[in-house]
Amino acid sequence: MKCKVCEREAENEYCELHEKAHRNILREYGVWKKASDVSWKQYLIEVAKNPHTGVWAKEVAESLISETK
Amino acid sequence: MEKSILIVTEKPSAAQRIAKALDYQGKPEKVKDDGVPYFLAHRDQKLVVVPALGHLYTIVHERGRRNYYPVFNFKWAPRYSAERRAKQTRKWIEVISRLANDVDGFIAACDYDLEGSLISYCLLKYACGGKEVVAKRMKFSTLTKRELEKAYEEPLPHLDFALIEAGRTRHEVDWLYGVNLSRALTLAAKRWSGRYATLSTGRVQGPTLKFLVGREREIRSFVPTPYWALKVKVEIKGSTYEVEYETKTFEKKMDADAVVKACKGKIGEVETIEVRKLQQKPPIPFDLGKLQTEAYSLFGYTPRRTSYVAQRLYIEALISYPRTSSQKLPPTINYTAILKALSKEASYKKLASELLGKDELKPVEGKKEDPAHPAIYPTGNLPERELRQPEKRIWDLVVRRFMAVFGDPAIRQSMKVCIGVNGHRFYLRGRRFLKEGWTRFYRPYVRAEEALLPALKEGEKVQMKRVVREDKFTRPPPRYNPSSLLQKMEEEGIGTKATRADIIETLHSRGYVAEERIVVTDLGFDVADVLGRYCPRVTSVKFTRELEEKMERIQTNSEKRENVLVETVSQLKPVLEELKGREQIIGQVLTKAIKRARMQERIIGNCPDCETGKLMILYSRKTRKRFIGCTNYFKGICTTSFPLPQRGTVKPAQKNCKRCGWPLVFVRLKRRPWMLCFNPDCSLKEERRKRVEMQSLREGS
Repeated sequence: MKCKVCEREAENEYCELHEKAHRNILREYGVWKKASDVSWKQYLIEVAKNPHTGVWAKEVAESLISETK
Repeated sequence: MEKSILIVTEKPSAAQRIAKALDYQGKPEKVKDDGVPYFLAHRDQKLVVVPALGHLYTIVHERGRRNYYPVFNFKWAPRYSAERRAKQTRKWIEVISRLANDVDGFIAACDYDLEGSLISYCLLKYACGGKEVVAKRMKFSTLTKRELEKAYEEPLPHLDFALIEAGRTRHEVDWLYGVNLSRALTLAAKRWSGRYATLSTGRVQGPTLKFLVGREREIRSFVPTPYWALKVKVEIKGSTYEVEYETKTFEKKMDADAVVKACKGKIGEVETIEVRKLQQKPPIPFDLGKLQTEAYSLFGYTPRRTSYVAQRLYIEALISYPRTSSQKLPPTINYTAILKALSKEASYKKLASELLGKDELKPVEGKKEDPAHPAIYPTGNLPERELRQPEKRIWDLVVRRFMAVFGDPAIRQSMKVCIGVNGHRFYLRGRRFLKEGWTRFYRPYVRAEEALLPALKEGEKVQMKRVVREDKFTRPPPRYNPSSLLQKMEEEGIGTKATRADIIETLHSRGYVAEERIVVTDLGFDVADVLGRYCPRVTSVKFTRELEEKMERIQTNSEKRENVLVETVSQLKPVLEELKGREQIIGQVLTKAIKRARMQERIIGNCPDCETGKLMILYSRKTRKRFIGCTNYFKGICTTSFPLPQRGTVKPAQKNCKRCGWPLVFVRLKRRPWMLCFNPDCSLKEERRKRVEMQSLREGS
């Protein structure tokens, strides 16, 4: 199976590298929700455009945004 | 006939200094034999002072081809027989061998450390025909005349064999790891792709890359979370001061807003004033790691550069031996004599005299010790030539640090004023020096700014001038830089003070990492991934540290070289078998990574036309000519292209044109490099063209 984001081999949806970023995105939504009550989609948009977001996290966020369209 | 002694030194500059110090007239004769310089000095006997060129001997595979592994049989051989670039060492060895035939005694005078001891041992054993057993050893920490004369008059009766054994073992273990693992990676990639690319790893390189990959993963997977803070300013007696809120951060925006609403434009009252006195001890003397860290933070010098500059200052007898782990300054170095000598320099005169006026000179010292050398200190000698800026800076830093360690503690006063507004508390902080102490000696390198506050009383009213909410996000952990990585390696106990800086440079030159704030490349990720997956032990910090400790024990005769080598081979064998068994898959992964890295090297920047593609150096299939094209061309979106010079080497400059902002290309033709802006409409080009036209018109008229 190929990673949804890159060409690397993946056991599930994401390769080992993007999987960690995906887990971080899921985990941090709780903090965002508590802080400013954003929707899941709005959260992904905010994460994707934030300059401090890591490259892999940004790629996963963008892939999730395109899935929700 | 006059007796003669052969003194073996590490390099020509050290040989010259040692010969000058030992010659009774201070004017040794310089001789050149087949291009190899050596010095003839006269003292109680004739002294032939001959330099090496660093290591003249190295480890080679005992027999067999170069392109296979595992290899466990090795021997020490002249460097010229193993390295193409070391041809000149043949003449060096021949001259030393000839000189060794006509002398009556031998003295090793290389630097007193693992490498220096090994250099002299190999020369005496191989080039001089087994003279390592009769040779004496000069031990010194500075190249000053006084110390060199003493080291010559009172030499150690024989070489330090424990140090030599430790040095040999380190080289042999590193060779076993480096050669076998690097060949495993290189051959796996070559057998898969049919193309050769050097891939390397080593005993210390692997774990170091692992730290970097770990940090890079954290940064690349980082998801920031929002938080809020307050920026608050108060007005006191006509001046504005910044104060901090009692809670530094807010998890909820509305909580921050509530404080802003309650305090904006209000009058606060000074509730309490807390004054504390703090004693700040002088810093400890420099070992190499501390000097490298300080030079990086003050001047931005990489650890390797600092080490190189410090070595030059040592050769010129301006500072003591820099590759030391000691943080101690024994009284035998003669503090008073050094300070007296330094006081001859105008900029140190006042400070040195002040220290000389003290009843007792007692340095503050760190915990670390080095059996061979004290901490780094100035010899007291003043420069005989105009020093270059980096040399001047490092020397000044060493001198001032040396003086600072004898200074009194500095006494600082800190003041914390609590201001209450509507049930909320804000803190105004001030600090100032009550007694400068050692900081006077270490200026301008002291990093402690004063923040002076006006005189305040409890109950005094304060105007809240500005209360603003700041929207913030958490940040990823910082990237390692050469200095913080060096510190990390030191903390983890991997590598030695002499090798750490070079290992960092090797990671850069292999393309595993890039930039000063270290970024791991895709190739670095894949190499670390292969090593971590198929031979985790090789990248294990714990395992590397344990091996390091065993090698250190050889120095104190509590471990044997043979045991360490046998253990190394038994550790490596299964690892290499595993790598060989998986050669195909490893080759596939590494080939892909090399391909990606080569593509990356050709990317110049973003396409200014379509803004989504990347500009790349490409080659025409028809004409084989090179040009710049957009990667979106292959998707049929963008046809942007620009011509490139067809001669010389061309690569992305990683810089943008100052005038038009387009990415630049670095072109090198016949040793004359230049930066090319390929934007045909760049105004700089037009200006340059006009200038050339004007010049040719002027010349014509």
